[in-house]
Formats: sequence, structure tokens, C-alpha cells
Amino acid sequence: MDAIEVLGLVKVFGRGRSSTRALDGLDLTVRTGEVHGFLGPNGAGKSTTIRVLLGQLRSSGGSASVFGRNPWDDSVAIHRDLAYVPGDVSLWPNLSGGEIIDLLTRLRGGADAALRTRLLGDFQLDPTKKARSYSKGNRQKVALIAAFARRAELYVFDEPTSGLDPVMESVFRAEVERVTRDGATVLLSSHILSEVEQLCERVTIIRAGRTVESGTLASLRHLTRTSFHVGTAAAADDIARLPGVHDLATEAGQLVFDVDTDSMTGVLAALTAAGITSLTVTPPSLEELFLRHYGDPKPDAPAVPVDAR
Amino acid sequence: MIQLLALRIRRDRVILPIWIFGIALLLTASAASVSTTFGDEAGRRQILQLALATPALIALRGVPNGVELGSAVYFQVYAFLAVAVGLMNTFLATRHGRAEEERGQRELITAAPVRRMTPILSTIILGVGANLLLGVLSTAGFAAAGLPLGGSLVGAAALVAAGLAFLGVGLLASELTASSRAANSLGATLVLIAYALRGAGDALGTPDLDRLTLSAAWPSWLSPIGWGEQAFAFTADDLRPLTLSLALAVLTGGAALVIAARRDLGASLLPERRRPASAGRLLGSTLGLAWRLQWPSLLGWTVGAAVLGAVSGALANSVGSATFENSAINDVLQSLAHTSRDDVVTAFIAAIMSLVGILAAAAGLQAMLRLRDEETGGRAELLLSGPPRRGGWLLASAGVATASTTVVIVVTGLTAWAAFLAMREPGLGAQSIGQALVELPMAMVFVSIGAVALAVLPRISIAATWALFAIGVVIGLFGDLLQLPDAALEASPIRHVPTVPFPADDLGGAWADIGVLTAIAAALIAVATWAVQRRDLTA
Repeated sequence: MDAIEVLGLVKVFGRGRSSTRALDGLDLTVRTGEVHGFLGPNGAGKSTTIRVLLGQLRSSGGSASVFGRNPWDDSVAIHRDLAYVPGDVSLWPNLSGGEIIDLLTRLRGGADAALRTRLLGDFQLDPTKKARSYSKGNRQKVALIAAFARRAELYVFDEPTSGLDPVMESVFRAEVERVTRDGATVLLSSHILSEVEQLCERVTIIRAGRTVESGTLASLRHLTRTSFHVGTAAAADDIARLPGVHDLATEAGQLVFDVDTDSMTGVLAALTAAGITSLTVTPPSLEELFLRHYGDPKPDAPAVPVDAR
Repeated sequence: MIQLLALRIRRDRVILPIWIFGIALLLTASAASVSTTFGDEAGRRQILQLALATPALIALRGVPNGVELGSAVYFQVYAFLAVAVGLMNTFLATRHGRAEEERGQRELITAAPVRRMTPILSTIILGVGANLLLGVLSTAGFAAAGLPLGGSLVGAAALVAAGLAFLGVGLLASELTASSRAANSLGATLVLIAYALRGAGDALGTPDLDRLTLSAAWPSWLSPIGWGEQAFAFTADDLRPLTLSLALAVLTGGAALVIAARRDLGASLLPERRRPASAGRLLGSTLGLAWRLQWPSLLGWTVGAAVLGAVSGALANSVGSATFENSAINDVLQSLAHTSRDDVVTAFIAAIMSLVGILAAAAGLQAMLRLRDEETGGRAELLLSGPPRRGGWLLASAGVATASTTVVIVVTGLTAWAAFLAMREPGLGAQSIGQALVELPMAMVFVSIGAVALAVLPRISIAATWALFAIGVVIGLFGDLLQLPDAALEASPIRHVPTVPFPADDLGGAWADIGVLTAIAAALIAVATWAVQRRDLTA
């Protein structure tokens, strides 16, 4: 059974003419035991999806299930095995960080005391301060420690490291790796692509409330183009005519173009035949994939090249 | 400066007009009502004689000064309105002071090319402007009731002077405290203390029954509201006491400016203490959290309740010691205390305890409506991502709200009882406790209305609930004075609280009132618990 199964999810806010369609047929499958990256531009509907999965918003259409249960009707059962860190953590200003960690873990059955102490150390959080005085990063640490200090089956993170420094990001990654080694499932919504590339086996990219790509990182890379900077004697027109070559231009005597990943062999052969004086090949990155989907005027429209943005 | 002032005006474009026009309207309506109800001089003479013989009434209303119509109006309305004006000003100062800083807006503003003192100076300009506008409207309000223009100006000036004094107090509170909640509590507490001080001073004053006035004792001279009373609009028209208010305004406002010029952004004179690194045993459930969040406020409410109980117990005794053979006077007292009982002390206890019921309802509502802050602040999202259900979450707050209401009522009842006991009046003490307890269902009706509003109309719940509460209170306390129709009077739960001891000929009616109010409160909370489970969380 998949940990999260979302099919054709629709969420409409408001009624009548002023209503907004935040989710418009979104699909998302998170397999048990995997770390799943959940990507999309601001306003794409990531947080709305997560709130539906938490049973805080009621879906207007489609289906969603967590551990095979309906998140709206069975929220209590689901939440016993779930830990959540919101994107914008706000805490009770009069409680200390330590008090809040205890409160949140006790609601789920109580923290592992040794784990709590270790996490406080690793994340370098002073638990005696009132939450009012914490910075954004420190508020995030409080929520992260509360999430990690008690075992859960499913961890849901909504941009969890946006306020953390690189050292804390690596502590976060180590904790995610620890809980997945223990068999937990993680849904990670993030804008930090290096983090997603390091942690996630599969990703789902959404836009305007719809899923535009979903799959393993390796399979998604096939969909992208590799960019070439070549110093060559080959005529620009000849290269431009090769199958799979896009957006050819000449820059400082070099040919600059993108190649579909599956057309690479033919292009390389043609270049080799013409002779190469210099060559820079930039492999497809998640960032490119990301930008390609984010930059589209419409999700269905043909891809526009990255450098045309 | 201009832009910042424009920002402040825009931020307040709804709330401030509500305050200003609300106060001016209440003034106009009350002044007109007093002029029609007590139009003839003989009637006024009777009331003032009664009032001067009844320190409790003096404590609630103020100092009369002669039998003229304008003086009677001023006596009836000034102290109450000054409290409203005071709260308007302290809330204004916090809204644009500590609250702005707490939300990080001040950081954004001062990062722009804006002088450090510009935010507080623009708040002062806004506050002074608001008070002056209120002054103009108040003058018009008095004059509209047919009172002379000179006195109207002095009366309005007394309100403005108190307003400015509390503006300064509010500004200083924002500099002293570290949170907007603390600043608001400190400001509101000081306003109520000012009202209480002049209440005590006036009640302890020496009445002059020939000239129908009273020279107030020293506590009144410690209070901006007391100074305003001493202006005696429409008779003495003495502006000198108002200079004390202005001096206080300059002193507190100046202190606020000095601190603001020297302190770091986000710092406060009263420092934050270190907190425990781990939670106490109670803090492990939504109920534990609701209690943990509410008890500091409840402590404040309880202290207020204790003071009120003790003072009213002490005052009631002096009411009882005065004898009124004139039944017309009793009628007047009953109209002031809105009860149909002809026993003066009973009427007085009922009047005081209905104030206690209102205080208890406010304490409960504050605990209940805190839930909306939890939701808009995003803390509910975090909390409810754990096992708690939304229904249980609301019920926990309703539980703590019920406890707050009950504590305020019981504490007031007990301190009033103790005060009577000290004066060897155990019977009246028991009566006070009884009267306090029968206020509980009424207070809970208001709390349950808040719960339903949270569940059904979350976005407007806070404003709607306090507005309904204010309407209920105005109808309950001033309905007769404003000569509202019976249907409107019946709509306020406050009008359905029976008087203790229950009349022997209508025992059933009294218990039925209590039963109906209790049933309404319980049903509304049940509805709210069910409804909140069925809606989205809305930030």
C-alpha cells in the first residue's frame, strides 16, 4: 500500500465568482519508505495539498488517502503516526521552545528523552527562551525537533529548511536519512533543489494545482536537455538541422545550443566529424527541469528554453 | 512622516471611527435621554439627594454638582464615557506601538529612510487628532441635547483631556512591556484603576446636601477621570483640573519618547525572564495548553473580581444604612439598577452583580476567542497536525472559558460575602454569593455565542462576538435609560437574570430563566463543537 495516494484532487476556496481553484486535478503517489520530493512554484498548491492530507482542509473533489485512510474523516488515527513541520512555523509566544517541543510530542504520545536531548544539541537550540524571541530559523528548529523526537510512520515537511543555515540543513538531511533507514516515509516540499537531489528518490512537480511531472529523478532527467558550448568548424546551419537540437545561437565564436537527451549520440558524432576545438557540456540538472516547468506560460505549452527567460 | 501617518490612518479607518462615533453616539443618546427623563428640577433634586446619600451610586457614576440639567447629565455620563475614551487611547497606542513592533512591521518601516522617532510621533499625531475629533463630536452631542455651548465645550474638553492622559499612558505601556498583549493589559488595567480610584474617592467624599454636591476625597485627585469630573461642566466650568490631565499626558508621553529614543528595536524596559526548558506535567493536551495560555489573564481578571467584590460589599452596607421612606426615590434607584425589587440593598446588590456577570462574560469570551488567534497565527495548523480533533480543541477552550467565568463570579461573590461578614451582615453576604452565581448562565450565553461564531463565521468571529456582547451590555445596562422597546430589551441575556432572593410568588419563573439560559449556552457550545469539525481551518 502506498503511504499517500492522491487522485484528481480538487480544492476550491470561496463560492461563486470570487472562488479560486487552488487544486485542479492533482495526482500524487508517495510509496511507503521513500523520500518524495514535492516541487512547484509559489502558489502552485503544495501547502494546500499538504493541508488536505492533514485533514485541515476538506477536498472539493477527487480522492486522497494517507495510510489507506481518508484524511478528513480519520485525521486522528492518521495523525498519531504523522509528524508535520509547516513552512511558516508560528509558535506560542509565551511558551519556551522546550515547552512547545514537549507539548507537540506529548500529543503524539511523548518524546524519546535521549533523542530529544541529542536533537537539541545537534540543532543547537536554546530551549529556555520564550518562542517570541526566536528567529525564523529557530522556530523551524523547534518544529523539526518536535517532529524528529518521536518516531512517526510519515513525516511531512513543507519547505523545512528555508530559514536554516547550511550546517543545520545537513543536520536535517542526516535526520531524514535516519528516519528513512528505520522505514519511515517522507514527503518533502522544498525549493532547495540540491536538498531534493540528495534526499529524494522520486519527485512530483506541480503547477497551478496540477501535476506536470512525476517519477524518479533519473527518469525525469531524460525529459530534459543538455546544453552545449562548442568551439567547432561545423556550420551553424548544419548543426541546427540535426534532430534534437534546439535554440542554436553563436556566442563569442562558439555555438551554444541544447540537445534532447536521447539525440545526444547523433549530435556528438556530427560534431566530432567536423572537429572540436573546445567543448563544455552542462548535464541536465533538477534546476533546469524545475525552471522549464516553472517558466512555462501554461503547463501544457511546449517547453521554452531556459536561457530565453 | 506624512506617509506613515497616512498608513496609520488607513490601518485605523474602520476601528477608530467605530470608537469615536460609538462614544459620541452614546453620549448624545444618554444626554438626550437624561434631559427628557429628568426634565423637571424637582425630579432631579430627588435623584441627586438620593445619590448623595448612596456612596455606591456615587462610586459608579461620579460627583453631582447642583440641580441644573447639564450638571445632572454630566454626572450621569462622564465617568463611563471617560473609561471608554481611555480604552480607545491605550488600545490605539498599543496598536501602533508594541503590536506593530511585535509583528515585525516596525522593522520594515524603520529600515526605510525614516527617523527612529517618526513612528511614535506619527502615532501621537493620530491619537491627538482622534481625541480632538471626539471632542468636536462630544461638544455637538451635548449641545444637541439642548445644553449650553460653553458647558458642552468644557464637558468635551474633560473627555479629551482624559483621552490625552491615557494616550500618554498607553504609549508608555508600549515602551515598558515586551508584548502587545502585556501592553494592552497594562493600559486597560490603568484605565480601570483610574475609574476605581475616583470611585473610591467620590464615595468617601463629604456630601453637601444643600448645594447638592460633594467634595471628593483624595483618591479622586489621583485619577485623570477624577480630574475630569472636577471640571464640573455646565456649573463651575472649571478648566484648571484638566491641566493635571494634560500634565500627565506630557509626562507619560515624554517618558515614552525618551525611552523610545534610547532603546533597541524590540527591547523593553521590563525584561523577559528565562523560561523552563521542558514542559510541566499539565502541558500535554489541548486542555492543558488552553489553561497554560489563559491562566495569566485569568489571574488579572481574578484580582479585578476580588477588588470589585470587596468594594461593592463595603458600599452596599452604606446603602443599607440609609433609609428611604420616599417611594419615588426607590423607583429611581430601581430604574438605575434595573430591577423590580423595592428593597434598596437588594437592588444595589443586583446592580453590582450584573456588572460582575458582565466582567465574567468578558473574561470567558477573552479565553474563548483566543482560539481564533491560534488559528490565524498558524499555531492551530501545527497543533492539529497532531492527534487532537478540532471539536476537542474547541471544547478545551470552552472548558477554560467556563472556568474563567466561574472563577470571576465565585471570587467576587466570596469577597463580597467576606466584606458583609466583616460588617456583621451574613444574610446580605449569602445574598451576594447567590446573586453572583445566578449571573453565571447569562455570562455563559455570551461565551457560547463566541464559540459558535468561531466555528461558523471564523473570519469575523472576534469582531462579531464583541459587537454582540457590547450591544447586549448596552441594552442590559442602559436599555431603560435609552427607552428601547420591550422586544429589544428582552433580547439581551442580561435582562433575564433573576434577582436573589427569588420572589416567592415567582420562584418558577426565576428558575426557568436560569434553566433556559443554561440550556441555550450548552446547546450553542454543542453546535459549535459539531460545526468546527466540519469546516476548513482558515488562517
